[in-house]
Amino acid sequence: MQVRLEKVDNKEQEEAVIKAVEITDEISGAIELLEGDAKGFAVSKDGKTYILKASNVYYIESVDKKTFVYTKQGCYDTKYRLYELEVMLGGYFMRCSKSMIINLKKVRTVKSQISGRIDATLLNDEVVVISRGYVKEVKRRLGIG
Amino acid sequence: MNKFKLWLEQTMMISFAILVGVIIEGAFFSLFGGNPLYEFNMDWLQMVSIVLTGAVCSLPTIIWLTDTDIPKNKFIVRMVLHCIGLYAIVSLFGWLFKWYTQLDGFVFMTVIYFAVYAFTWIVTLWFHKREDSQINKALDDIRDEE
Repeated sequence: MQVRLEKVDNKEQEEAVIKAVEITDEISGAIELLEGDAKGFAVSKDGKTYILKASNVYYIESVDKKTFVYTKQGCYDTKYRLYELEVMLGGYFMRCSKSMIINLKKVRTVKSQISGRIDATLLNDEVVVISRGYVKEVKRRLGIG
Repeated sequence: MNKFKLWLEQTMMISFAILVGVIIEGAFFSLFGGNPLYEFNMDWLQMVSIVLTGAVCSLPTIIWLTDTDIPKNKFIVRMVLHCIGLYAIVSLFGWLFKWYTQLDGFVFMTVIYFAVYAFTWIVTLWFHKREDSQINKALDDIRDEE
């Protein structure tokens, strides 16, 4: 496959376009890598440490200076701060409020409330709040900004 | 700083809404006032009064309507208080700056106020609904299968 690299001036202009006849395992791997899903990070639960794949994460929350990672299997804690995970994971992981990072790939649907906040229903039926101030960034990440 | 930016934005928005109201009132009385010689002019004091009213009206907006993490019922109560509060401010400033001098002018201003207030909310909710639909459509393309 031919690879073409074009230099851009700022991070917001960065994008990868893959033109392919079909999505092979290699292409899926490349997509995961570019979107940050293939990355793993250390989490712990009941005194045991695990390496958690980013693609398993639903959302990450900071409560009383502790960071909790939520997956389908349950909740883990991690030593990383939200701002570190935000940079580390990138892609479809984004801040949805001051204390939360959401994985947009795990959102089933969004619905605006009269107050302006947005309720996001996740694939596990949990509802998290996206603050109105972050909607512009959500749209940018989804390519509709 | 964010609050200050919000206050400036709100001041501009509300001032514009009041200006639209004043223009509608001026146009109405020019056309249907019964006096063909009625002239609708806006002097500098009226412009200042509109911006000043907008600046004061934006304060209840920042205090009552920027906290989105509250239950729906509480927000609706705040919205009603906001509507009445803004109406009181607009009426007071309208009287001080002589936007109206007689009862018919006051009644007209009241009708315009509630129409503009309702219109603003309808447009805002419509924008939110449109935005939801755009986001949901985009989410369909990237969602993980479980």
